[in-house]
Amino acid sequence: MFDIILQAGASVLLDPLTLGLMGIGTLAGLLAGAIPGFTIAMGVILTLPFTFGMSPIQGLATMMGVFVGGLSGGLMSGMLTGIPGTPSSVATTFDGFPMVRAGKPGLALGLGLWSSFFGGMISAVILVALAPQLAFLGLEFGPWDYFSLIVFALTITVSLSGDNMVKGLIAGLLGLFAACVGEDEINGVARFAFGSDYIRQGFAFLPVLIGLFAFSQLLTDVEDSKKAKAPLMAKTADPVRVEHRKAIALVIKNWINLFRSSFIGIFTGILPAAGGSISNILAYDQAKKAAKNRDEFGKGAVDGIIAPESANNATAGGALIMMMALGIPGDIVTAVMLGALMIHNIIPGPSFIQDEPMLAYGVFIAFFAAHFFMVGLQAFSLRLFLLVTRIPMYVLASVILAYCAIGVFALHNITFDIWVMFGFGVIGYFMRKLGFPLAPMILGVVLGKLAELNIARAIGTSDDYFLFVTRPWSLFFIIMAIISVLFPFYQNANKDSLFSKIYVPICMVVLSFPLFLMGSPVRMIIAAILLLAGGFLVYKRTNSFKTI
Amino acid sequence: MTNNKSDLIIAIFLLCFSGIMINDASNIRDLGFEGMKADAWPRVVLWMLVVMSSIMLGKTYLQFKTDNHKDNNIFKINFSKFKNALICFGMFIFFLSTLDYLGMLLGGILFVFGLLTLLGGFTIRLVFKHLSISILSIGFMWVVFTFGLRVMLPEGEILRVW
Repeated sequence: MFDIILQAGASVLLDPLTLGLMGIGTLAGLLAGAIPGFTIAMGVILTLPFTFGMSPIQGLATMMGVFVGGLSGGLMSGMLTGIPGTPSSVATTFDGFPMVRAGKPGLALGLGLWSSFFGGMISAVILVALAPQLAFLGLEFGPWDYFSLIVFALTITVSLSGDNMVKGLIAGLLGLFAACVGEDEINGVARFAFGSDYIRQGFAFLPVLIGLFAFSQLLTDVEDSKKAKAPLMAKTADPVRVEHRKAIALVIKNWINLFRSSFIGIFTGILPAAGGSISNILAYDQAKKAAKNRDEFGKGAVDGIIAPESANNATAGGALIMMMALGIPGDIVTAVMLGALMIHNIIPGPSFIQDEPMLAYGVFIAFFAAHFFMVGLQAFSLRLFLLVTRIPMYVLASVILAYCAIGVFALHNITFDIWVMFGFGVIGYFMRKLGFPLAPMILGVVLGKLAELNIARAIGTSDDYFLFVTRPWSLFFIIMAIISVLFPFYQNANKDSLFSKIYVPICMVVLSFPLFLMGSPVRMIIAAILLLAGGFLVYKRTNSFKTI
Repeated sequence: MTNNKSDLIIAIFLLCFSGIMINDASNIRDLGFEGMKADAWPRVVLWMLVVMSSIMLGKTYLQFKTDNHKDNNIFKINFSKFKNALICFGMFIFFLSTLDYLGMLLGGILFVFGLLTLLGGFTIRLVFKHLSISILSIGFMWVVFTFGLRVMLPEGEILRVW
C-alpha cells in the first residue's frame, strides 16, 4: 500500500500542472467561501465545467482545492465582518468577530487558519487509514444492503434539512423522480420522454445540479433590487497581517479541543448528508461545555475559534471517506464530486479503492496537499476578497449566469442541456421560495439511479422481499433510517417526556440486533455493549420517570 | 411566500403532477423480461409522492381552516417581489431562443449586457460600464472554452454568414 501512496503522491505533487490547478482551485474556493451568498457547493459546481478537459486526477485535485479552500474561506468574512461566508463557518463568528473587534484580527485569523489546517490534517490521516477499511466492509454489502443504505442517506438528509419534514420528503421524491426520466438503466426503455429524443436520453446530472443549486441561488441573490445594486458587503475590512506563530502555539496548546472537534467533524462527515454546517455548531457546543472558562465564550475565546474551524475542515475528510469507500456522498459537495467522477466514467464504490488505487490515493493526497495551499494562499486571497466585496451582486450574478450556460453546454455540446439547467433553475428557485429544502432533492437526483439499480438487482436475485429485513446490514440501515426519521420528533419533544428520555437508549438496544446477526466477534462485542448500556439507561430513565 | 395558501396550491399541483405522471407510466413498454419492470420504480416513487402531497394538503387545509382566513384572494401573487427573477427568466429564454442565430459569443454578450442594464439601471455611465463588463467577461470565457478547453461553442448563423 505504501508504494501506491508514494506513486499517487508523485502523480499529484510532482506534476506542476496538477499543483498549479490545485492552487487555482484553492484560491477560487477561498473566495467562494468568503463571499456571503456563495457556498462551497456552488464553487465546486462552477469549477466542474473546467475539469472536463482535464485528466480525472487533475480535475479531482482542482475540485479538492476548491472544497478545502471554501471551508476555510468562510472564516475571513465571518471574522472580519461578522457575516459568515458559508453555513460551515457560522459558529466561527461567535468568537472570531468579538476577537477582531477586541483589536486582535491577526490572531483571530491565524487561529482560524491553523485550526482549519490541523483539523484537515487529522481528518486526512483518518481518511487514508479508514477509507480502505470501510471499503472492505462495503464488499460485504449486497444490493439489499445498498438500497437500504441509500434510503438511510435520503432520510437523514430529510431529517437534518429543516423543520418541515414532509417538504423534505417531497423534495427527495422529486429528486428520485427526476432520476427516473429517460431510458432506464436495466431494460433501456424510455420513460416520461413525451416523444422527445432529448428527454429520452434523460437529464444529465450537471445541468440539473447547476440549475437547482447555482442558478436558483443567483436568482435569490438578485431578488432585492436595492441589495443587488449595493456592493457585496456593506462593512469592509482592512488587510490584516496574520499572527502565525502565536496562533500555532495556541492551537497546539489546546490540543484536546482540537482533537475532540476534529473527531466530531469526521464523524459528522461520515454520516450521509450531514455536513460542515452541522459539525461546526456541534463542535462549538461541545467545546463550550468542556471549557473551564465558559463565560469567555462569545467574547473572543480561543477555544471558540479552534472548535468550529477544525471541525468543519475535518468534516470534509469524513465525507470523503463515505464517498470513496461506499460511493455514498457525505454532503452536497461530495455529491457534486461523485457527479464529477461519473463524468470521467469512474463510479466510486467498495471496489473503487482496490480497482483504481492511483486515483483513490491521488484524491487523498490532493486533500492533504490542498491544506498547505490553503495556508499559503490565505493572505493573497484576503486581498482579493476585499476587492471582490466591492462588486455589486447583480454584476456577479449576471456574469455567472452566462458562465453557467457556457459551462453546461461544454458537457455534451447540446443546447438542450442549457434548457434543462434553466428548467431546474426555475424549479429550484420556487422550491427555495416555498420552503422546500434542496439538499434532499439533489441527493435524490444523485442516488436515484443507484437506488433503482440496486432494488432491481435485489429483486432479480431473489423474490424474497424479507431479505431487506433479515440481512444484517440491510436491517441495520433500515433501523438507522427509522431513527433518523424520528430524530426531529426527539429534538422537538419535551425533555421531561418519556419519549425524549428513552429515545437514545432504545436506539442503542435496537441497533444491537443487526450487529448480533453479523456474527463477527468484534461486532458482537459492540452489540453486547450497546445492548447492556441501552438496557441500563432504559431501566434507569423509566424508573426515574415513574418516580416523577 | 411560504404560507398556507401557497402550500395548499403546491400540494394540489403536486397531486395533479403525480396523477399525470402515473398515467404516463402506463405507456412505459414492458419488454417481458424477468425481474423488475421499467415502470415499477417510478410508480413507487410517484405513489409515495401522492401520499406525501396528500399529507401536505391535509395538514395545510386543517391549518388554513383554523387560521380563519377572511382574505378571499387565494391566488393573489405579489409579482413585484419576483421582478428581478422574472427579468432573469425572460432574458435567459431570449438568450436560449436566439442562440442558434446569435451564437454563444454575441448572444452571451447581449444576455449579460441586457441583464446588467435591466437589473442595474440605464444611465449613460452605467450602460458603458455594463457594455465593457459584458464584452470582457464573455470574451474571456469564450476564449478560455474555445481555445483552452477546445469546446466548440455555438457560433450562430450571423457569424457563420460573415
